[in-house]
Amino acid sequence: MSWLLPSALGIAAVASIGAIALHFIARSRPLAEPLPTARFIPQRPVHARARSIAFTDLLLLLLRVGAILAIGLAVAGPMFGSRGRVARVVLLDRSRAVGSAAELRDSLGASSRTSDVVIPFDSAASIGAAAPDSVSLTGARGSLSAALAGATRAAVRAASRADSIELVLVSPVADEEIDDATARLRATWPGRIRVVRVRAAASAAVAPHVEVRADPNDAVAAGLSLMGATAPGRAVRVVRGLLGVADSAWARDSGHVLLHWPASDSAAEWTRRSTIDAIGGVTAGGATLVARFPRVWVLEGTAMARWADGEPAAVEHTTGNGCIRDVGVLIDQASDVTLRAPFRRFVSALLVPCGGMRSARPASALALASLAGTGTLASSDAFRDPSTASSPWTPWLLALGALLLIAELAFRRSMSRAA
Amino acid sequence: MSAYGALLDAVRGVHWGARRAVTSPVAGTHHSKLRGTSAEFTEYRLYRQGDDPRRIDWRLLGRSDRAYIRLATDRAVLPTTIVLDASASMAYPVTTRAKWRRAQEITIGLAAVAHADGDPVGVAVHDDRGNMRILPPRTRRGVVSEIARVVDGADPDGLDPLAPALASIRSARMVVVTDLLGDADDLLRAARVHIVSGHEVHLVHIVAREELDPPHRTMLASDPEDPTLQRVLVDTTRIGYDRQFGDWRAEMARRWRAAGAAYVEVVTGEAASHAVRRIAEPASTVSTGAVRA
Repeated sequence: MSWLLPSALGIAAVASIGAIALHFIARSRPLAEPLPTARFIPQRPVHARARSIAFTDLLLLLLRVGAILAIGLAVAGPMFGSRGRVARVVLLDRSRAVGSAAELRDSLGASSRTSDVVIPFDSAASIGAAAPDSVSLTGARGSLSAALAGATRAAVRAASRADSIELVLVSPVADEEIDDATARLRATWPGRIRVVRVRAAASAAVAPHVEVRADPNDAVAAGLSLMGATAPGRAVRVVRGLLGVADSAWARDSGHVLLHWPASDSAAEWTRRSTIDAIGGVTAGGATLVARFPRVWVLEGTAMARWADGEPAAVEHTTGNGCIRDVGVLIDQASDVTLRAPFRRFVSALLVPCGGMRSARPASALALASLAGTGTLASSDAFRDPSTASSPWTPWLLALGALLLIAELAFRRSMSRAA
Repeated sequence: MSAYGALLDAVRGVHWGARRAVTSPVAGTHHSKLRGTSAEFTEYRLYRQGDDPRRIDWRLLGRSDRAYIRLATDRAVLPTTIVLDASASMAYPVTTRAKWRRAQEITIGLAAVAHADGDPVGVAVHDDRGNMRILPPRTRRGVVSEIARVVDGADPDGLDPLAPALASIRSARMVVVTDLLGDADDLLRAARVHIVSGHEVHLVHIVAREELDPPHRTMLASDPEDPTLQRVLVDTTRIGYDRQFGDWRAEMARRWRAAGAAYVEVVTGEAASHAVRRIAEPASTVSTGAVRA
């Protein structure tokens, strides 16, 4: 049994004690009753100590205390529906970090029941997705933050039919799946997490060889050539002018990364800023390029690079089995910034495969222990909204309290009349 | 009136004789102080100058050579007024009002007995506005019903003293039905005036059973005629209460009897018909005095 508002029980207990105390204290000064021959009673102080407890007094006290307790229980909201029942939410990692889909399904079968809620996730969590047996891997980067958020949503639904909720995570728990929000989201889950670790996918090394379509004296092409990255027929294509239909079709192939990096503001048809300004730096993958750059466009998508003020400078869009990256960093053709080492580091971050650099390195033991946590399972109370949750027993307990109050009033009046 | 049917049936045949010879000139059932020539012979008296010669007993004259006249006792009526106490203390207990109910019944019962004896009977009681409603003694046929209507229309909730009412009434026989918890001293003083005047005064002291034996629990008793008077009744004060109340009742009985009134204490547990008999025919009932708790 659980309670929607356990503090109401304490308040009801205190009120009951107060009612009992007042009952006996008040009785030391009984109500005045008419007696025409009262003048013949020897005069004594009104607060005489003599007491005689009658059964009717105890009955009156029981009615009062019963009414207070019934109302207190009603406000506390008892929940009897799910005695000791445990609901289970299973987070199933189907991202690119997982090494084997078969192993994933086997682990799922071993750690879940048919009544469990299974939430497949990669970069987003899907509640109510396809049957677990049909889960397949996607090439998307996994996000434990998205998974934990999905688990919380599922727990809110499960809270009405269980006392406790167990969270099971079937995942390789790779480093790339943990972001800055993961720890904060983990802290919101009020119980331990059972981690079922599966084999991680092997990390693929990325060769920085790209195909560049640009003018002969293009500064970016020159910088890339200094990196030794330019070569035709590779998985990465940098287009410095307007994109063509062929470019878009090429980008949809598996593993292809199309970088649309306009050489001028006329080489792209992106949304322009209302006021064009200039900014002194841009960062990608930890590498920072410092120079004066005009900001012409407003880019939306998965940020690959950011201006110094946090606005996206380069974004990625998934297309087919590949992706297109729009790079809004206009480089002066006369500038030598592309010849420097910071540029090479900056560009390396833009040349990674779709979804970012794959790092299926398993998370450290410390990170894993922090994710799993200790203690008990999460209580359903933590997922119930006190403002909307209601106990089916509350109306009945309120009715009982009202009946007891009416009975107390009627009994008290009958006692007065009898006196 | 139908509420008193059983009572009237029970008191049928009861005669309420005068305690002493009456002086009413109207013929009735009570012995009259005035002697006349009725059929009931009492004694002879020597003829005196001025006597009616037709009253001379000629046979005795022939036997004794002396002139005697025959004397006989006359009977007269005894106008009766019943004064009913309608103060707040009579409305006790609160739920049953047994004291008031018994007082009403005794009033109606005595009125019926007096009326059956041919005596004029009336009633005096404060109405619900505090005015003394007086029904003068009458012998007409429906007087008992009229008295019942007046009595039923009264409500015991006032603090009006009875002594002024008693002082203003002139009847050869007066009955005061009261609990003596109001102006008892003034009432006795007014009654003495009537007694000294040769009138007959009866005091019917109404006492509730609950006053003799209050509930055995701690209670804060309050006088309904004086709400500021509150006393705690517990086991230890109950002994004092019983003693003081009993002493007071005995004192009342002594003082009223000493004044020349007929004192009868009626407890609410006693049937009204029995109480009426005790009042009207004290010699025919077992007890005639006060009933102590």
